[in-house]
Parts: sequence; C-alpha cells; structure tokens
Amino acid sequence: MSKPQVIIIGAGFTGVATAHDLALRGCEVTVVERGDLCNGTSGRTHGLLHSGGRYAVKDKESAVECIDENMILRKIVPQVIEPNGGLFIALDESDLAYAEQFIESCQECHIPLEELKPSQALKLEPNINPNVLVAFTIPDGTFDPLRLALAFAGTAKHHGAKFHTFTEVESLLTDGAGNVEGIKALNRASGRSEELRADVVVNATGAWAGHITAMAGLDAPVKPTPGIMVAYNQRFVQRAINRLNAPGDGDIVLPQRRMAVVGTTSFDAENVDYIPVVDDQIKLMLERGSELIPGIRSAKPRGIYMAARPLVGGGSGRSIARTFKCYDHKETHNVDGLVTITGGKATTLRAMAEKTADVVCAKLNISTPCLTKETPLLSYRSYYTTPN
Amino acid sequence: MDQTRNQPSARKFLSWFIPVGRQVGGWAFALSRVTAIGLTFYLFLHLYVLRLLALGPGHYDEFLKLTENPIIKLGEWAVVAAVFLHGFNGIRIVLTSFGVGVTRQKQLFYGFMIAAILVILIFTVRMY
Amino acid sequence: MVETWKITLRVYRQKENQESHFDDFQMDVNPDEYVLDAVERAWAFHDRSICFRHACHHSTCGACGMRVNGVEKLTCITPIREVTHNGATLKVEPLRNFPVVSDLAVDMGPFYRKMEAVGARAVLPVTEAEIENPPSKWDPDDSQYIRLSDCLECGLCMSACPIMATTPAYLGPAPLAAAQDQGLRRKPELLSIVDCEDGVWRCHSAFECTAVCPSFVDPGRRIMNLRTQVVDMKLRKLFGKA
Repeated sequence: MSKPQVIIIGAGFTGVATAHDLALRGCEVTVVERGDLCNGTSGRTHGLLHSGGRYAVKDKESAVECIDENMILRKIVPQVIEPNGGLFIALDESDLAYAEQFIESCQECHIPLEELKPSQALKLEPNINPNVLVAFTIPDGTFDPLRLALAFAGTAKHHGAKFHTFTEVESLLTDGAGNVEGIKALNRASGRSEELRADVVVNATGAWAGHITAMAGLDAPVKPTPGIMVAYNQRFVQRAINRLNAPGDGDIVLPQRRMAVVGTTSFDAENVDYIPVVDDQIKLMLERGSELIPGIRSAKPRGIYMAARPLVGGGSGRSIARTFKCYDHKETHNVDGLVTITGGKATTLRAMAEKTADVVCAKLNISTPCLTKETPLLSYRSYYTTPN
Repeated sequence: MDQTRNQPSARKFLSWFIPVGRQVGGWAFALSRVTAIGLTFYLFLHLYVLRLLALGPGHYDEFLKLTENPIIKLGEWAVVAAVFLHGFNGIRIVLTSFGVGVTRQKQLFYGFMIAAILVILIFTVRMY
Repeated sequence: MVETWKITLRVYRQKENQESHFDDFQMDVNPDEYVLDAVERAWAFHDRSICFRHACHHSTCGACGMRVNGVEKLTCITPIREVTHNGATLKVEPLRNFPVVSDLAVDMGPFYRKMEAVGARAVLPVTEAEIENPPSKWDPDDSQYIRLSDCLECGLCMSACPIMATTPAYLGPAPLAAAQDQGLRRKPELLSIVDCEDGVWRCHSAFECTAVCPSFVDPGRRIMNLRTQVVDMKLRKLFGKA
C-alpha cells in the first residue's frame, strides 16, 4: 500500500515545518517552491523568538501559542537560536502605565517575567537608554531565519520529503467536479512544465495564499501587511529589547550576530512580489530604535528591507490577531484536495504545521499522532547534505 | 542542472596569472607566480649557458658577445627585478604563515614592494 | 528627494542544456538601495524566469552571494552606489567554483558537506566570537550568552580563492576557518582532516578570502593560525603530550 501523497506549495516556514510533520507521520511529501527556501516573507522576518510578551495584553491566544512554541523550539532546534532572553523597558509615563496590565497578562499566559530596577537593567544591558524607568525580563530570543527553515527542511528530507525549488505552480489539476488532484508547475531552471498528482495539496504560500486559491476559483482571507526592518552594523545588546507599551512601530531591537535589527511598521500593500523601501519608515526606525538604544543614532545601516506578513481575518494593520488559520476547502467551498494554511508568525511555525498536518491526516485517514514536539531537528546543513 | 559549468578545474590555473578583479593579496599571488615562472625559465637558461661554457674557452667568447645584446641586458635586469620582487614577497608569505602581520598583509605587501623597488633601482644604477 | 540613477543591470543567464548568456535590463534605481533590490525588481517586473537565491536581506543567512562586476559580494548589503555609477552597467554573475543550478543560483551542497565534515559551529559563546567596539561596561562573565557565529556560510571566500578554482578537493577557506575556530586541542579529530595535501597546506596566501568575506571571519588569518595549531599538535604528539 503506497504512502499518501501530499504536495506542499511554498517553502517558507509553514511549508517546511508542515513537510517535516507530515513526513514524520508517514506521508510522501513533495514541496514545490517558485524560488529558493525562505525567499518570501519568512526570510525577511525580524528573527524574534517570541516570548509572547508583546501580545499578552491584547491577544492572549497568540501570547500562549508563542511562549509554548518558544520553549519547544529551544529544545528541538537550539543550533539556530541566540537564546539570551529579552527585556521590556519603560521610558516614559505612558510606558509605566502599561506595566501593571503587562505583568498581569504575562502571568495569565504563563510567560515567566521578572521585574528589574533601572540599575539592574543597565547592568545587564549598558547600552540601553539610561533613562529606563523599569524593565522586565522575558524569555525572548533571536533566530537565524533561513537556518530555522533549513533545519526543518533537512529533517523532512531525511525522512523522505522531496524539495523542488525554482518550480512555480502554474495551475491546479482538478477532476471534473472542481476538486484538486495535483499541480502543474514550471521548473524555472529547466524551462520544463511538469504535472504532479497528490491526495492533498497544501497551500502554504502565506501572503500569496490568495494567488493559489484563485487557481481553484476561491479566495483566501489573507491581508498582506508589509513592514520595514533596518539592520545596523553594531550589536549593542545581548538580548531583545522591547518597548513596554501596546505594540507599535519600531518598538523592538534584536541583536543578531554583529548587528542590531530594528523593526517594524505595518501598512497595506497590493503587490506582494516586490515592496519598495519607504524612506520615511527608515527615519522612523532610526528614531524609535534610538529611543531604546541611543547608540543606534551613530550606527550605520547595514541592510534595509521589507516583506509582507500574512495577516488573516478582518480589520487592518495591528488589530488583526496574529494567530493562524487552516482552511480545509472541502468545508469552506466544497473543493476537496486543497488545504490552505496562512497567518501566524515565525515562532509558531511548528504549531501551524501540527494543525495543518492534523487536518491533512484526518482527510487521509492517517492516525499517527504528531511527533514534532519531541523530535530534535537534524543539523540545518542536512538540507544540503541529504540527497534529494 | 549542468554539473560541469562553473566548477573547479585544473586548467583554471591560468587565472592565477590574470588577477582581474582581484585585491592586493590576489595581485601579490599573481606577481609571485609570474616571477617564479620567469626565474625558473632563467634557471634552465643559466644551466644551459653553463653547459656551453663547460665545452671550452671559445664558447666563453661567444657567450660574452651575446651579453652585449640589449635584449639580453634587459633580460638580466628582469632577472634581478624578479629575484627581489619574488624574494621580498616570499618573506611576506613566510611572516604571515607564522602569524606575523597576518592582519596587515596588505601593508606588508606595499612595504616590501617599495623596498624591492628601491633595491632594484640601486641595482639598475650599478648595472648600467 | 530620492536620487535616481539609470543603470543597465546585466544578468548572467543559464538554463539547463543551453548556452549561457547575459540579459540586459534598463532600470531606474535609487543608488542607496542594494544590488539585491535591483535583481529582485528585475525578476518582479522585467523577467520572471530569473532564478536567484535570497532570504534574510541583512547578511545573516548568506544566501545572496554573487559576483558583482566580477567581485564577490553579499548583494543584500552592497549599495548600488558602491559598485557602479549613473549611466553605467551593473553586472551580476553567480559565484565561481559552485555548480550553477540556474542563472544566479548555485548548488551549495558540496560546500555545506565540507562545513559539516569539520563540524563548523553555528552558535557559540559571545566571548569566543570577538565583536568590534564591544560596549565598554559589559560583564566579563558574558560567556553565558550565545550568539550566531560570524561565518554565514555564504561561499564568497570559496568563490574568490584561486586555489579553489583549480580543484574541488581543496577544503577551502571557510571549512578551514571553521576548523580553526574550534581549535585542534579541543577537537583533535580535526587534525587528520586539515593536515593533508588538500587541507591547510594548500593555501598559498592570496588572502582573497579575507578580502571578500562580508562577515569579519578573516579566513586567511585563521588558516595561518590553523597551521600553527597543526604544528603544535604534531610536536605534542612527538613529545608524548597529546
């Protein structure tokens, strides 16, 4: 009896984590990606291993997801993480006023936090704003975007998953009744089209989800919402520095290798394939970043970039919940064979994959439980060292 | 996927002598190789001449006539230049191999080449 | 006002079983944006068949290495202003010494196999990876903090190395630097890997690796230091101390 065939469109975080989960559950997985791994939103993530502190007050569901997945990722893929924790720092009255609800909410979401006096905070991080009024430690971290994906992808490959990069889906193959049976894709390296059939096609294209569902005549409620990141050429701090207040622009600075990355903004965009950098937003990151770490003012930008988050649901900008949604289109539109997973954030990639794999396995009558919580990932280099 | 294009191959050694797009270290590398080939060619030439001389005194006079030829004179100068360029760069390589000045290898190159040029100038004056 | 330059982006094209050639794209660019931005725009708006690798856009993933006007660069942090001028050409080609997958994308497989073979460290204590201008008041007990290592495994050094051009057997700058970083006294099993004809002795001090490294690794210095470590290990063996 041959293994169930699954095609995953998209090799960003969601795609590679889902490939890993499904491969472990015994599916034969083929991942199809029009570029190379993480060349879309996932590659340009800030790189924050969220403790959930940022969402604790307004979006408790997200916050709990974050802290749980944070702890899991620290266990299964430490090779790509700078696990040094983070600080939320208050610089003015408005920040101070936020503190009480912040503490309560973090406790409600079981996010471990500790209050620090300004002198303690400055001892830990001498380069933060010396006017810090109060600080809280939380278990944030920094990760390397591509290597996080490579670790999942490499482990998936080790368990039999195949990756077809530079392969762009041109259309979905359907049966007479409009159900999806596979894909027709153009291999951009060879210039040849190929048809691949599968029992289920997973649309893991994130901000591009609507582009794929349109091929089946459906739309997906994902709102591409880009933001800017500016990476400066000095590290300044050992841990993530967050502004203690409701989520806003430029309120996070992350250390990563020898850099400090300031992010981000949130605005609407039509063309997801290319989002130009906006000069005003660079200035905003400089302003807001310097409030947290004054030294940033005299640092030089090393890289400046934009990418579109996939936000699901109604509303716009920061008010949309950052949870993820998995749609079995048999239930949404009576189109079988197609599952869309979108929304979410990098930190919750494994949970998104688990949910998606649960949906896929239910459709394929596979009863193997999810194994990804406890399975340590192989070296991220295994993506390259494992033959296809 | 064409597996052979753009791959390392032995015949790419010719690129060693054409340091286009290279930086200081790459030019030093090329210079050492060019002078090395020149000096090796000179070595064989030198041995050949010595063999000639071993054949008898008449050959020595013929040889002396040859050395009047301006091209040979230029060649002699080139050998001197090559010895100092190759030798001083070689000292730089020895130093960096022992970790001495390895973070300042560019400056070492400039310094040693200036010294080599000075010595070559001195020899030029004395030779001609 | 944002400055605008008119440039010709000349992109190396290579599809399976076809002769390679260059495609020219006339583009308006902001000279302060990066070479990668221009390549991405050429893909987005001019020719969707261009294949290239990129992910983080801020020199942490190492995916976007290419030769820009013949010199190895990490295109996400290379401002256009640095490599060309208004009205001129900007040529982009794939890295040397790697098999070409398509256009500007190369196969990193053999290189990553070498990095894995020497057990290159991806994360290490902050105190072991030096940082320029460290904050003056950091606690000396900073070794508890972990950070991603300097080496991005981008392959620029492997492309620039003249020895690498002539043989795939040579370990290459990045793997040798990674071995040096761990130290032969700490990992004596690396000795046989680096102390051989295609290991640390094959380097001939061109220092092109150090010249193109975008991430402060200085492979040239590390290779020379590794030689010292090899000699140290062999002497210790000789005198029975290893």
